[in-house]
Parts: sequence; C-alpha cells; structure tokens
Amino acid sequence: MIQAAARGKRLTLEHVSKRFTREGQDAVAAVDNVSLSVEPGELMTLLGPSGCGKTTTLRMIAGFEQPDAGRISIGGDDVTRLMVYRRGIGFVFQNYALFPHLTVFENVAYGLRVRGLPAAAIRTRVGQVLELVGLPGYERRFPNQLSGGEQQRVAVARAVVVEPQLLLFDEPLSNLDAKLRVQMRAELSRLQRQLAITTVYVTHDQEEAMALSDRIAVMRQGRVAQIGTAEELYRSPRSAFVAQFIGRVNLVASRVLAITGGRLAVALWDGSLSVPGADGYVVGQRLSLVLRPESLTLLPESAKAAEGEIVVPGIVRGRTFLGEKVEYLVEVAGALLHATSYDPTRRGVEPVGARVGIMCDAAAVRLLAADS
Amino acid sequence: MRRDPVVAPAVLLVWGAVALFVLYPLGRLLILTFWDGGPSLDAVRRLGGDWTHRVALVNSLVLAALVGIAGTALGLAAALLAVRANMSRWAVRALDAVILLPLISPPFTAAIALIFALGPRGLISYHVFGLTKVNIYGLWGTLLSETLTYFPIAYLTLKAVLANVDPNLEDSAFSLGARRWRVFRTITLPLATPGVANAFLLVSAASLADFATPLILGGTRFPVLPTQAFLQITGLYDTRGGAALCFLLLVPALAVFAGQRWVTERRGGSFVTITGKVGAATRVKSLSPAAVAGLGAVCGLVVVLVLVCYAVIFAASIVRGLGADNSLSLAHYAHVFSGGLRAVRDTLIVAVICMPVGGLFAVVLGFLVSRTQFPGRRALEFAAMLNYALPGTIVGIAYLVAFNDPPLALTGTAFILVVCYVFRYSLAGTRATSAVLAQIDPSIEEASASLGARRDTTFRRVVLPLVRPALLAGMTVLFIRAMTAISATIFLVSLQWSLVTVRILEGITNLELGQASAFSVLVIVLVYVAVVVASLAMRRLNAGSFGQAGTLLGG
Repeated sequence: MIQAAARGKRLTLEHVSKRFTREGQDAVAAVDNVSLSVEPGELMTLLGPSGCGKTTTLRMIAGFEQPDAGRISIGGDDVTRLMVYRRGIGFVFQNYALFPHLTVFENVAYGLRVRGLPAAAIRTRVGQVLELVGLPGYERRFPNQLSGGEQQRVAVARAVVVEPQLLLFDEPLSNLDAKLRVQMRAELSRLQRQLAITTVYVTHDQEEAMALSDRIAVMRQGRVAQIGTAEELYRSPRSAFVAQFIGRVNLVASRVLAITGGRLAVALWDGSLSVPGADGYVVGQRLSLVLRPESLTLLPESAKAAEGEIVVPGIVRGRTFLGEKVEYLVEVAGALLHATSYDPTRRGVEPVGARVGIMCDAAAVRLLAADS
Repeated sequence: MRRDPVVAPAVLLVWGAVALFVLYPLGRLLILTFWDGGPSLDAVRRLGGDWTHRVALVNSLVLAALVGIAGTALGLAAALLAVRANMSRWAVRALDAVILLPLISPPFTAAIALIFALGPRGLISYHVFGLTKVNIYGLWGTLLSETLTYFPIAYLTLKAVLANVDPNLEDSAFSLGARRWRVFRTITLPLATPGVANAFLLVSAASLADFATPLILGGTRFPVLPTQAFLQITGLYDTRGGAALCFLLLVPALAVFAGQRWVTERRGGSFVTITGKVGAATRVKSLSPAAVAGLGAVCGLVVVLVLVCYAVIFAASIVRGLGADNSLSLAHYAHVFSGGLRAVRDTLIVAVICMPVGGLFAVVLGFLVSRTQFPGRRALEFAAMLNYALPGTIVGIAYLVAFNDPPLALTGTAFILVVCYVFRYSLAGTRATSAVLAQIDPSIEEASASLGARRDTTFRRVVLPLVRPALLAGMTVLFIRAMTAISATIFLVSLQWSLVTVRILEGITNLELGQASAFSVLVIVLVYVAVVVASLAMRRLNAGSFGQAGTLLGG
C-alpha cells in the first residue's frame, strides 16, 4: 500500500514574477512578486478570480512556465531552472489530460514506465493506486469509456502513483456537476491527508477552497492578497477584496467618532457602535465596516437596541427562500444590505415590502481602512 | 519548455534537409536565369523576342482563370448538392467516389479519354452525333479536360466549408422572415465566400501548374508555359531558356499561392469560428426543390462525363484499337506485364519507400511547427511548403539544374525521385498532423512531462500514437502522388529508373493509346485499392478514442 510516509516536502516561492507579452501590447504582469511557503504535507489553495495569476503560479511551480524573476524550491532544493520532468511532481489538469490512446492501466503506469520500473512492480503499484481511488477493475477501459468523475479519479491516480514530492491541482473539479464536485472534494481531501503529500490546489470556488484547504492564499492581480486558514480569512479579512471574495459581505462606509479606553466608537447609519481595538486609529479616520449577512438580524420594526447593539428601520426589497435559510435584501438608509436568517420554519419569513428593524451586533463587526 | 535538449537537433535536421532539397535547387535555378558571368536579364529578355513564349504566358494565365471559374462553379454545385440537399448518406458517398476519381488518376486520363470521345473520329462526336469538325485540341479541349480533372479540388474545399456553416444560422434567418433564396444569398453564400475564393485559387494554381493536359491537348496552336519549358529543355537542350520560362511561370504561381494564403489566413478560410459550437442538428432547408433539381442535373451530367471518360479508358485498354478495331484483346495488358513491368516495379518501389520517409518527415515537421517555439519557425513552415506550392515543372527543372552534376549528381537515381516526392507531397501529412494536434490539448503533453518524460519520450509515446491517422493520411497521399506524378519527375527519370506515368506519356506520343490506357487502368486500380485500404484503416483509427485526421485527400 502506498504509505503516508514523510514524503511531503516544503515548497517555497520567493519573489516570483512572470510577465507575458502579447503581440503589439505592453508586457502584462501575470504574477507579481509572489512569496509563499507550503509546509510538508500541507494543502494550500490558491484562490482568486480568473486572471489573478493563480494558474500561472501553479504552472511555474510545475515547471511548465519559467519565472522571469524569483526562486522556487522544493525541499530546500532550488528547482527554478529545472525541467518539468526532473521535478518529481504530480499534476492534475483541469481537463484531466488523460492519454486518449492508452487504457486506464497504461495511463496510470505511464510515469512508472518512464522511470523504468520492472513490469511486476508496475502491475502492483497501479493495482494499489486504482484501489485507492476506488476504480479497481477499470484497468482495460479507455478514457472515453469513463464518466467525468471516473476520469478525474484516473487523473489523480496517475499523478500520485509516482509518489511525487509535490501534488499540484489546476481547478480539477470545475468540469464536474455540482453534486459530484462536492463528493470528489471530500475524496480528494481524504486522499491528500492519507498520502500526506504537500499539495497546491488552484480554484476560483471559495467554497471548494474552504472545504479542502489547510490554508488559503487569496490572489488578486498577480499578487497574494492574504494567506490564512479559511476561518482567519473569513473573520479577519485585511482588505475589502478578501472580505468580498470569501463569503458574502456588506461593506458600510464609516468613520472613527471617538477613542476611549481601548475602544473605538464608529459611525453606523445614524448611530454609533463601540468596538474593541483602538491601536493605530485616529479620530475622524474613514473606515469600512465588514458586516456579514448572518450577523444582521431581522427584528420587528418596533424593536429596541440592547447594550452593544444597534437597530435601524429597513424595508425588505427582496428575498430568496433556500430551505435552511432565507436571504433578504433589505433597504436601509438608501442602501441595500444582505441579511441571512436561519431556520425560517421556526422564525417565519418576512414578505417583500415589510417594514423591519435590522439589528447589528458589535461583536460581529470588523474594521477595514477605507482605502484597502 | 524552451531549453529542451531534443527540439533543437530536430529543427536543425529538418532545416538542413529543406535547405538542401528546396532552397538550394531554387537558388540554382534563379542563378542560372539571372547570372551570366554577372547579373543579367538576357535570358528573360530573349523570351520576349519569341512569339511562342509571349503567347504561352498569356495562354497560361487565361487558361488558369477559366479553369478556376469553371472548376469552382462545378465544385460549388456538387458541394451544395452533397451538403445542403438532404441527400442520403450512400448517395453522397457515391457522388464522392465518382468525383474523387480524377484526383487519384494518372495525369493524362481525362485527356486520353477526351481524344477517344470527342476527337476527330471520336466515339461521341463522330459515331454518336456524326460531327466531323469537332476539334478537341487547343484552348477548349484543354479547358474541358482540366476542369474535369481539377474541379474535385474545389468540391472538397467547398464541401468542408459548407458543412461548417451552421444550419442554425440559416434557421435563424428563416425565423426572421427571409425566404430561401434570400437566406442563400445573404447567409449561406457570404459565409462560404472565403471558401469560394480559396477554391478558385487552388484550382487556378493546379491549372497553371498542369503540364500533362496541355502537352497532349494543347498542341502547337495552344502553347502554355510548363509545356514550353519542357520542350525548351528536352527538345532544344536549352536549360537556361527553360529556367527563364520557369521564372515566368514562377511569378503568377507565387502570386496565386500568396493570394490563397491571404484568403485562408485573413478569414481563417471560413467564418466557422464565430458561431463556435455547432448547434443541434436541424434539417437543412435552404435549397428549394427546383434548385436541387437544377444542381442535380448539372452534377449528373458531370458525373456521367467522368464515368464515360473512365469507361472509354477501360474500353481502350481491352480492345485492339478503340474506334478503329473494336475486337477484344489483352495485347495491351500483355505489354504492360512484360516490357512495362519494369516501370511498374520501379514506380511501386519508389512509392513504397516514400511512404514511411515522407510520412515521418510530415509528422515531425507538423509537430515542430505547431507545438514548439524556435527562431525561424514561420520561415521553415514557408520554405517547406515551397516545393508543394510551385508548379512541378519548376521543381523538376530546378532539381535538374542542381543535381545533374557532381558533387550532387543525383538525377536518374531512385534517391532523387524519393526526395522529390517527399518534399513535394508531404504537405498533406503535415497539415493533417497540425489538424490532429489542434484537437489535442497541449496539457496531454504537459501531463507526460509532469510524469517525468523527456520531450523525445513524449513524442514517441504520446504524440506519435495520437497522430497515427495523420501519418496514415500523409502516407496515402504520398503513395497516390508517387504513382501518378509526372510534371517534376519527367526531368529526373533515367534508363535505370523509369515510371509508369512516363510510359503513359510515351504511349501517347507514340500514338499507342491502347497501351497508355492499359497502364492508366493499372495505376487507377492500384491507387483505388490503396485508397480503399487506407480508408478502412482510417475508419478503424478514427473509431478509436481520438480525433479525426480529416479527409484523406484534403490539402
């Protein structure tokens, strides 16, 4: 059986940059001074919108592209100028890139044959790895005889059978339907933990990233915007971009009204809210308040605010009933806010046009400098 | 992937071969024309003084334009019928089979058949209609023969283009209230326009380069450039004059070639890319029943004419003297399988050697050009295409000039024949390779590299198996061309190595038309068998798990 040995190596990128030149245009920085480190056995996701440089970064780690500047090392060895085929990686492509002229067995065996393993060893290893991905008995089929999910598993089997130092995924689930995507996500996660191979995973789907990753690197315009666990990124985004990319959010313009005893009084709608953490702020400074939809509560119009809360009147302008929750669009002070209410069966559903009170809890509010 | 240790030597090897067997002979040809102890225009100027040569230039251009128009019109009619008339599968296949006959026949077939059918004592003109003043020699006979021979090129081109015009586009025009003729005029035809222009240029180029037809049907009253160049060299032993005539031919040939490249590259040959994925299959309704009937009548006539030609050739091969002594006789075949057997054997040997050599060359070139980056890639692509694009007469004379004397005295050897075919007819394989590779995502090769395979291993284990259909197509075209070519190789044959097509030409010039017909029938049968075998093999390959290589004879 393939063992969860300490096969994972640390991957580091130091100041890696890549520019692309299109004909008749100026060079565009696809990846701009990216530095990050993936610990042995860790799964890090590169998350970002299309064109943010995540795939280019992944392809440079693999060696399909050469960085213009910077250094990439695997397990302490500089691999920046090493050809792909010497890096000892496993790569799972978005379209799986299975060899259409080879059977499942030969596809998985390919890397082992290239390495010159004896036939008996190849047979054993391929059998084990097909077992691992849940495809025993598929050896003699051709890729075009497999479903999308099965092709996906073969692609993974082919990448891990060579016992790579580094496993790289390029949006591997984007060609699967929604249900299968969730199922494969769980399987990939289990497999990666079992094999303990250092893994870099590229996706634009934040839910996928949150479900799979030990840590997430959110990328934007060729740069790393923030690195952290899913929880850190959700709770403490350091920029409006990260706040908006991870989960849904209301960003409300605000400013510092007063600083007293380690607490800030910040403007919210017509009132003032007291939040902890005064360091580095000055009175009058402009801010954005990060209000997650689930921390806004719909109350009757007449509800009064308790200590540390604020309640404003609003009008329901839209709602989406999703079973376990209702997503409201509420107009407050001329702006539309997202508010999510859970367990509608018990709490009831407000109709469109209803006048409500919106309650915001100070403990759920995060601050962002206005220009971030 | 830039610093790959395998690509550079492969590029150097291909460049070296192209330089030696394409650029060097053409260079020698130009030097012979323009260098006489110093730069000189004498050779070209002398041509102007000769009435025949001046007329030959005009004739060549007029003929090319007329054949282009007639061939494209016929090809368009047949293509519309095949793609837009809801014909049954087997009917289209039958139409294909008949129309493709001229493409795989030896070059004189239509000409001989027309002499038999429409000559002074022709089977149709004299024996059926009792006409005595029909003259098949000259412009009209050459035009008819070349149109019959080359309209299949237009048919293939336009069929592909029309098949790519999404019928849903026509449907949406119908839904907006347009009637059939309007839909055809405003949607179908404009979408096919680049294809029509391309077909016209391809057919014109074929006519401009055609040497065999005018040699037989042109006679002295209708000289054209390729025949004049041939006669200048073989009749007058004036290589310099022949080279100068070649230059005269080179200019319009390159112009047509450049025009064709411009048309296909500017518009991508068609507008298919705009619509992307072809929508759900819909019944085509853009042709009215009357239009279908009209097209059917025209195409039916052409099909009958083609079939008559082949029936005549076959008849001529099995009677003593068609039209004069119609008694059955196998004398002509007896000759083919005794005195002529040597030429048959030589031709087969050369053709069979060409297939793997040229096929591999085509695939490697196609791979290098479409999947790797190196300085001078576009230049190599262009240079490798030159021998294909230029009329065979030019290539033949250039080879004669370059390889007749030491250090490279190669004319008359089997080697030079193989080289000539490989560099002239590999393009189909190269294009097929590019087409197949275009359907294979580059990530397939990256997957191989990520699993530890070097570029050469990837080529051998992944690319080569995937382009097998292209390799097969390329090798089939090489076989067909090697069996049927004459224009370039007539300058390169010798007593040691002769070819069937040369024997056919000798038969015609010695007025042994029966023998020529028997040779022709043999070539047609051999080539047809090869095409059928290749098609079956192709179907098996395409039925496998990977992309199609396109049509066997495309390009």
